[in-house]
Amino acid sequence: MPVETSAVAAPPVELAPTGRPGIGAPQAHRSFELDLDVFDGPFDLLVTLILRDEIDIWEVRVSRIIAEYVVKLADSGEFDLDATSQFVVLVAALLEMKSRLLLEEEVEEELEDLDPEEAARQLLERLARYSQFRNVAGALGTSWGEHSGRLYRNAAVPAGLLRRRTPDGALPALALADALAPLLREPPVPDTSHLADLAVSLVKELRRLRLILDDAGEFTFAAVAPPDRLERAVTFFALLELHSSGEARLRQTNHFGDIVVSRVAAPALVAG
Amino acid sequence: MLPLARRLEALLFISARPIATDRLAEACGCREDEAAEALGALRAEFAAGAHGIEVREVAGGFTFAVADDCAEDVRRLTGAEKPDELTPALLETLAVVAYLEPVTRAEIAEVRGVSSEWALGALEERGLVEQQGRADTPGAPILYGTGERFLKLFGLVSREHLPPLEEFSLSAAEVDEIRSRLHANAERRGQ
Repeated sequence: MPVETSAVAAPPVELAPTGRPGIGAPQAHRSFELDLDVFDGPFDLLVTLILRDEIDIWEVRVSRIIAEYVVKLADSGEFDLDATSQFVVLVAALLEMKSRLLLEEEVEEELEDLDPEEAARQLLERLARYSQFRNVAGALGTSWGEHSGRLYRNAAVPAGLLRRRTPDGALPALALADALAPLLREPPVPDTSHLADLAVSLVKELRRLRLILDDAGEFTFAAVAPPDRLERAVTFFALLELHSSGEARLRQTNHFGDIVVSRVAAPALVAG
Repeated sequence: MLPLARRLEALLFISARPIATDRLAEACGCREDEAAEALGALRAEFAAGAHGIEVREVAGGFTFAVADDCAEDVRRLTGAEKPDELTPALLETLAVVAYLEPVTRAEIAEVRGVSSEWALGALEERGLVEQQGRADTPGAPILYGTGERFLKLFGLVSREHLPPLEEFSLSAAEVDEIRSRLHANAERRGQ
């Protein structure tokens, strides 16, 4: 619904009349004048008229408003954070209204289940509740003007006057010594008996296996492996080392069966 | 001045924060009603216009404050500045927090109909709103409330001294006007 030019000559109006002054009216960006196809005047007024359904939001191109504001900012050469913030908030509100309208059909379908009277009652309730806080904000603004500048005593209490809580009665020096003594005592040596002491090293095991290999030319893992599990693992690693260096060939005919180790070349001179 | 009033004067002078009557009584070893009576005498002694400082009841206790007509001189001496004005959005958000605290961000947004994230952040920066733990609801949202600074800057003794919310309800005529506008809108949509 395009608006008549005479409509915009009216002064900006507050939305929900509350009878209490000084709240809710956007102020910082009031100097921002718009020249749109459907509207010519201050931005505040445009928003107000849209919210009062006196201008159809579909007729307003929000991108055009933003572009004009950016040009205005560039021309003015100064950046007013408060004014720009409020502008962004209002523009965001316009965009939200527009996007909601896009979904209006779906929303209406959802609302079909709701009795129109009930829907109106709920909306009225919500508006009434919001208005309470909006009006309180006005009263708080008045209180702020009256009290916020007051200077209360806020000097820190001198350190010497601060209360120090001490235990009742005198504290003997021996009590302090008793309290500190446990901190000075050497802690007991931790018990490491559960940790195995490894008797063989990989180098020693390699040397032993090479000697056996030189003497016998062939042996089985079961025949040379020590009984200790950890030492058997070292023996196994030594076998792998012999295999990877090309000194021995390993054969295992069946899974988990014994491993036959046979010599394939003379032992490496540098090994061991 | 009563001897007890002089002792209370010393306590108020040395304390950096408002002190409640019961604590004053405890410090002086007297009954609370005796302390209250002596406080009355002290307030009369420091009545507005008599001295450069006044005894004020604020934020749950009594404290000295610079007399309003001397504040400008103190500002020139100390360089203390007046707090910035609060925008309508900040005042509105603060009102919701003050009356409904402890309150979550979602609850504030529900009352206001818009997100209050920025406003809450700005109020927190100014020390007017503070986080007061988390709600025992799904998502454990942060709970917001007001503190001593809020009471001081709005000249309140406690939150109970906020004017009743009912005083700010819409009048019957305003409710009727909104109702008729809602009906008019509904009819226009129905056409």
